[in-house]
Amino acid sequence: MILKVEKVGLGIETEDKLLNSLVENGKSHYPNEFGGFLVGYYSDDNRYLHITNTILPKSFKASKCSFERSTKGIKKKLDTYYKETPQKFYVGEWHTHPDNSPIPSMTDISAINAIINNRNACLANPVLLIIGYSKTKVDFGFYVWFENKLYRYE
Amino acid sequence: MDKSLHLNTVIKTHQITKEKDLLDKHIQKKNEVKEALEKEYGNNVYAPFNSGSYAKNTAINTKFDFDLVSPFKRNAFGANGTLKEMYEAVYDFLYDKYKNDAEVRKQKVSIGLEFYADSDGDKIKIDVVPGRELNQDQYKDDENLNLYVYYKYGNIAADSERIKTNVQSQISNIKDRADKEKDSIRKIIRLLKVWKNTKYNYPSKSFFLELITIKAFDNGAMTGSLWNKLKTVIEYIKDNITNDGFTLKDPGNSSNDLADTLTDSEKQQLADDMKNMLDRIEENDENIKTYFPENPKFKEEDKNSYNTNGGMPVPPPKLNFG
Repeated sequence: MILKVEKVGLGIETEDKLLNSLVENGKSHYPNEFGGFLVGYYSDDNRYLHITNTILPKSFKASKCSFERSTKGIKKKLDTYYKETPQKFYVGEWHTHPDNSPIPSMTDISAINAIINNRNACLANPVLLIIGYSKTKVDFGFYVWFENKLYRYE
Repeated sequence: MDKSLHLNTVIKTHQITKEKDLLDKHIQKKNEVKEALEKEYGNNVYAPFNSGSYAKNTAINTKFDFDLVSPFKRNAFGANGTLKEMYEAVYDFLYDKYKNDAEVRKQKVSIGLEFYADSDGDKIKIDVVPGRELNQDQYKDDENLNLYVYYKYGNIAADSERIKTNVQSQISNIKDRADKEKDSIRKIIRLLKVWKNTKYNYPSKSFFLELITIKAFDNGAMTGSLWNKLKTVIEYIKDNITNDGFTLKDPGNSSNDLADTLTDSEKQQLADDMKNMLDRIEENDENIKTYFPENPKFKEEDKNSYNTNGGMPVPPPKLNFG
């Protein structure tokens, strides 16, 4: 899947296989929300983001309308990805909205701000993927934070 | 597609400062012609001045119009000299001086100098507009001038001898209004000039487009995005230009009606073009690029990119989502 934010000229590319596995993982926690870390790399001109992998949290709390994850136990996996060629790293977060649309909540936007303002995160343009799903339908909402605004890829 | 975003890019790629070298050449050549006129006519001419779009800050970089107004004294061509004699004398002088360097042409109210391409391939165009004060030594008080109409100008007959106007008022009217409305009026004027430049030899003068844009702004609330404002102006032109009694007063002389600079069929053509433009853009947003193209010479690729602040990014320890 290739998506772009025309207004700012940034794109993402991701494999359907990865998206399917996120959906399966998310659905397995129904009716609660679930999520994880997104891993990938930028193109040479830094205009495309290739999302290649996810790391699932080992420690998390979830309900129908909230999801809290921690980074316990993921450092080793991040290091491994960082040593690969191309070098892959943490690029954002994903989570589900069971029986709901993939529209970011205020909590989601606060989370993005927390990433921007976290010195160790080192990300100026974190990506947020929300998977809204019901029994019959799955919707992906990909977002990127760019110059103090959240843009949706289309 | 975000039409306003595109229009802003169009304006950006048409910024006159992007053609600094060409602009400097025009300014230099304009000064040369000005000095030549002053040398030739001495005390019979007041200081010639630039009245083109550059003076009004509505210029675009694909068409420089440098209009050099030469205000002559009433008796410069004899106590009984006519405006026609003034026009012919200035033409003869410019032709003799520049015939080896430029095409020298008689135009509607001006004499066009199109200098042959220089080593960079650049052609410099200066239009000299001869004007004469109404009475001896009156110009410094009222800045009024009579212009000679060399050939048919819309509904104004050829050889009609005179258009009385005040060019300084024309410049300041447009400049002041554009300044007051911040950038809105100026942006719309520039966009309409970009559109006009997509046509070959379109009859409506830039001055006409400037005035009708201001009149559209005066007509009602101009709100919303850049595209909304442009659309409102286009609709205003479409709906009004062919109406009986529609006038465009010359800020330099309210007796002059700039609507007369177009014939009835030229007005109809303008109204039809405005309608077609709106219809095509309504059908498909992308068509806006045909009517308002970017200047390909300065088209910039989006420079935005993803950024990390160095080092391996590490997620914040705890995050909540909802």
